[in-house]
Amino acid sequence: MENRQLLLTVVTPEKTVLADKPVDFAVVPAVGGELGVLPGHAPEVVQLKEGMLRYSSGKEKEVFSVLSGFAEICADRVLVLAEAAELAKEIDEERARQALRKAKDAIAVKGEQVDIDEAQAALKRAAVRLKIAEFKQRHRP
Amino acid sequence: MASLRDIRKHISSVKSIKQITYAMKMVAAARIKKAQNSILASRPFARQMDRLIADLARELGEDDLAGTLACDLFRERPAGGTLGLLLVTADKGLCGSFNTNLLKAAAAWLRENRGRKVRVVVVGRKGRDFLKRLKGLDLQVELELVGIFPKVSYAHAQLLADQLAGIYADRSVESVTLIYNEFKSMMVQRVVTDRLLPLQAHILGEGGKGAPASDFSFEPGKKELLTALLPRHLGAQLYRTLLESQAAELAARMSAMESASKNASDLIEGLTLKMNKTRQAMITTELNEIVSGAEALGG
Repeated sequence: MENRQLLLTVVTPEKTVLADKPVDFAVVPAVGGELGVLPGHAPEVVQLKEGMLRYSSGKEKEVFSVLSGFAEICADRVLVLAEAAELAKEIDEERARQALRKAKDAIAVKGEQVDIDEAQAALKRAAVRLKIAEFKQRHRP
Repeated sequence: MASLRDIRKHISSVKSIKQITYAMKMVAAARIKKAQNSILASRPFARQMDRLIADLARELGEDDLAGTLACDLFRERPAGGTLGLLLVTADKGLCGSFNTNLLKAAAAWLRENRGRKVRVVVVGRKGRDFLKRLKGLDLQVELELVGIFPKVSYAHAQLLADQLAGIYADRSVESVTLIYNEFKSMMVQRVVTDRLLPLQAHILGEGGKGAPASDFSFEPGKKELLTALLPRHLGAQLYRTLLESQAAELAARMSAMESASKNASDLIEGLTLKMNKTRQAMITTELNEIVSGAEALGG
């Protein structure tokens, strides 16, 4: 089989995380469960939930955390539009744990000045980060 | 005539003002670079998002759209009833006519729609204070975001979008208007009064090329996808608005502070001249006195 590759692009409103990165295999967190994409995948548009975006390219493997967004798969190109995406390597487990606790506290207090929406979002973000940190540890070579 | 000491005091106070304005100018100049970069960085997302929406909309016929939330966001509503307003101002002053022009435009808009109930979402301290001062209007402030500049993030925009969509979900709201400063160039900012909701239909029309429509499969469904996409489109649009306003504020501050520094320099120059003249006059008088005194003694 010839060596076909996918071109993976990940953009968020704040920056372009990956631009046309050639990869062999990608997994996106679709709403109905994880969706693996290989070269030659049928064109598809999926909605994403917060979760892990993985890809492997040769020996190289990377994990991203993404927050809800969309993915478009078309002609060996994968375009991911996410509200936020972060490289797993850049995630600090301890900080994520702290953020999780803080967000939980904020929601529990429910004071006048506490922005519940903001806290909910923070909670989700922290939970995803933690999940990724754990995943990273399990798969450490 | 002012004494020498008074003039010196005046000069030193003008000098310290100049130092402050100059520092503010430099800070604004450093930040504006970053602000411009984040505008640029936000573009690919917005572009892809628009393309995706256009593709999806092409897929869906009118009939499919009917009755969904997506359709609701596009349809014109009958005139009359409540209005929505989003006012984006700065948190701080000292940026020339940036806020003044905005508030003038907002006041004009409010005058135009006098007598109607207005639900407002406001960004920035200046706008909030302005709305607090207003009296005799049927205003209802739904959400105020204060202190988000100069660290605007997408989360703020999404918060705004959710709030606005919530307001608009109320059937009696006719439209939502947006007033903000557009960043045209380093020297020029323009106040823009724009209609935010209902969404303009043209974002659906401009379909890009792409695979033949029928090839795509969708998860979950097309309708659900479009319904989920449109609020995000609103978020992306608001994010751009916030970034533009942020860049415009910095640009306005930079040019205001630059002219303030220049004025201070002119003032110092004039004062120095005056000081020298005063000193010269004093020396001349003193000399005169000595000479005439010597003459009187020597006969």
